This record gives sequence, structure tokens and C-alpha cells, in this order.
Amino acid sequence: MSEEEKKSFWQNMKEILYGMASHDMSRYALRTRASMEHLFILITMGDMIGIPILPPYYSLRLLPYVVPQISTWKRRLLREKDVSDAMF
Amino acid sequence: MTLKKIFEEHPERRYIMFGGKGGLGKTTFSAATAYWLAQQGKKVLVFSVDPQASLSDIFQKDIFGKGPVKIMDNLWAQEIDADQHIKAYQNEIRQKILDMYGFESVPDEIEQYIQAASAEPAMEESAIFDAVVDIVVGGEYDYYIYDLVPLGHALYYLSMAKVYDEWINKITKLREEMREYEEMVSRLKREKETEEDQILTELQYIRTRINASSSILTDKEKTGFFFVIIPEEMILIDTAKAAELFAKFDVPIMGYVVNRVVPRELLQQNIPAYLKNRIEMQDKYLGQIKTTFGQQVAAHVPELERDVTGLDMIRQLAEIMYGK
Repeated sequence: MSEEEKKSFWQNMKEILYGMASHDMSRYALRTRASMEHLFILITMGDMIGIPILPPYYSLRLLPYVVPQISTWKRRLLREKDVSDAMF
Repeated sequence: MTLKKIFEEHPERRYIMFGGKGGLGKTTFSAATAYWLAQQGKKVLVFSVDPQASLSDIFQKDIFGKGPVKIMDNLWAQEIDADQHIKAYQNEIRQKILDMYGFESVPDEIEQYIQAASAEPAMEESAIFDAVVDIVVGGEYDYYIYDLVPLGHALYYLSMAKVYDEWINKITKLREEMREYEEMVSRLKREKETEEDQILTELQYIRTRINASSSILTDKEKTGFFFVIIPEEMILIDTAKAAELFAKFDVPIMGYVVNRVVPRELLQQNIPAYLKNRIEMQDKYLGQIKTTFGQQVAAHVPELERDVTGLDMIRQLAEIMYGK
């Protein structure tokens, strides 16, 4: 076995182990993180979908940071529930 | 206790405010106090955040939205243009979005939000108080005389600041939790350090701004708040209510200044019943003022022959309030 092959063998082992042990965990963590992100945007930018939470002077300061998430957030918040909710 | 003595005994009180119902003489007293302090050799900035500000009128100089304008030696005056401030702020946000994502123009829904947000009534108060932080934090002047907006607004802001503070605490906590999840994921995936959360940094900045602006109003050491009253029933009732509310928010009240007192000497002359009745009415309420506020009454200012505009009248008023 050459050096190269050895390396990729360990690399594969590592990935398999990660897949078996922690992939689910990190997927779950990422999902929770995403829900929190959406909750965060709701609290700060609620006005956008007609839920005024607090005066927006300082919310505007946060706006630039959430620009990319706004459309997914709106879609998620305003859509109706369906089967795929349980899957993703 | 006279006004002069109050200022001499508390040189550390550098944020001076005159508050009260509209039209009782807040701006006039602010200008006269600023004039007197400037003459004592202190560097003074008198500023106003009222959209219907009258500092321009009293100094007979258009200073609206022009930054600090020098009136005389040691004395500067400034009127904040809230609209202008909000517009500049909006542009700053737009520019930031363009810079961060390399957009050619701000996306439609974001633009709509920016515009809708600025139409909210609370926007103006927040913008105003934020602008005040900039002015006061600069610290270039010995005294800041704050020609306050009518009482309601200040109270509204103080309560807003409290709610804001709690709100920020909550979302900061949420944000920190989010951060933990992020770190967990990157540990699981054996990635390097996660990026610094800019939103968290921004939240902390917002909190310091809010605290700074409400502490200008409530700083026990540096702030002095005077109520302007006139000897009339409605004013006294309202002021008593406001004073109670202000006390709840820990605004340090330094005293009460009674304005528009009709000179008693007139009684020795042959004056019409109309004037006599007014004097009698004022006597009644002056008595009430004495029993309610007692030692806290810092000055009585007579009803003057003409309105106070221009430096000459301001000087005369300053002499009445602080002595020659």
C-alpha cells in the first residue's frame, strides 16, 4: 500500500465513522440552528410579514446580516404545513 | 436655593434639562441658562431635538440641521433634524447591504422594509435619542443644555429604552444559543473555528447605545433636570403626575422653575380688575407650589413685557434668573 492509498484509506474510515456516529447529530443541530435563525428574524424583522414586535430603529442595523435568509424565512413562515415538514 | 447656587454646588452636573408641558418656556430657560454659563467661562452647547424647535427663533439664526453653530464666545447651539438623521441612517444601511453582498441595488422586499420601518412613529424618537448619544458622547463641551421635547416623549423614550433593553437581552441569549449549536456542528465535522457572529457584536453595540441614551436622562451624578411650571392649576396637576413618573425612571430632579409670575408690585398701582384677578389666582397657586415643592423651587420668573428673542432679551432673562 503506497503512502497515497494509506492516506485515503484513513480518510475514508474517518468519513465512515463520522457518517455512523455524528452525521445525524450535526444534521439535527443544523436544523435546530436554522429554526432558531428563523425565530430570530421573526423577532427582529417581524414587521416584514405584518407582525410588528418592536420599534425598528435598531432592527435596521441587523437587516444587512439577514438579507440572504429573508426569502427562505418568509417561505418557511408563511407556507402551510405539509408532509415534508416531518422529513426535512 | 437659588439657581445660581445649585449650579455652583453641583459642578459635576453637566447635562442640564428643562422639561415641562409645551409652551411654558423650556427653550427660553435653556437659552438663558446656556448664556449665563457661557458668560461664566464654561463651554456650552445648547441643543434641541424638537422637530418644531425654536432655538433658531430665540437666537434669531437659522441653525436647523446645521450641526453646532457658534452663537457667541463659549456658546454653541444645535438643532437636530430627525428626518435628515433618519435618511442618513437608511442610506448607511443600504450601503452596507450593497457592500456586503456586492448587489447592484437593494432587493425590492428589503427596500420596502427599510422604507416601511422609517414610517413607524417610534422611529423618530429612537433616531433623536440616538443622535443625542453622538452629541453627548463627544464630550467636547463643559455643559450640555438639552432643550427637551415635551414631557410625554421623554417618558415614552425612557420606557421604550427599558423594553428595548430586555428585548436585546432575550435575543442576545437566543443568538448565543445559536452560536453554541454552530460550534457543536463544526466540532462534529472537525472544522476549524467558526466565524465571529457579527450579529452578536451588533446586538452588543445596540445595547450600549440604548443604555447610553437612557443614562443621559437618568445619570444621578451628571444629570440635572428642572421642571418648568406656571402658577395654574392644570399645569400643577400635570407636573405632579409627570414628576412621579420621572421619579419612577430615576430621573434626578434638581428643582422647579416658576415662570410667568405677574409682578406683585403692580398691585400698588391702579390696575384693572382683570389683572387683579389674575394676580389673586396666581397667589393661590403660588401658595400651593410652595407647600408642594417647598425648597425645590429654584426661581420665580416674572411675566416679561415682551417675548424673549435675540441675545439682548436672553441676557436680561439670564440676569433675572441668575443675578447680575
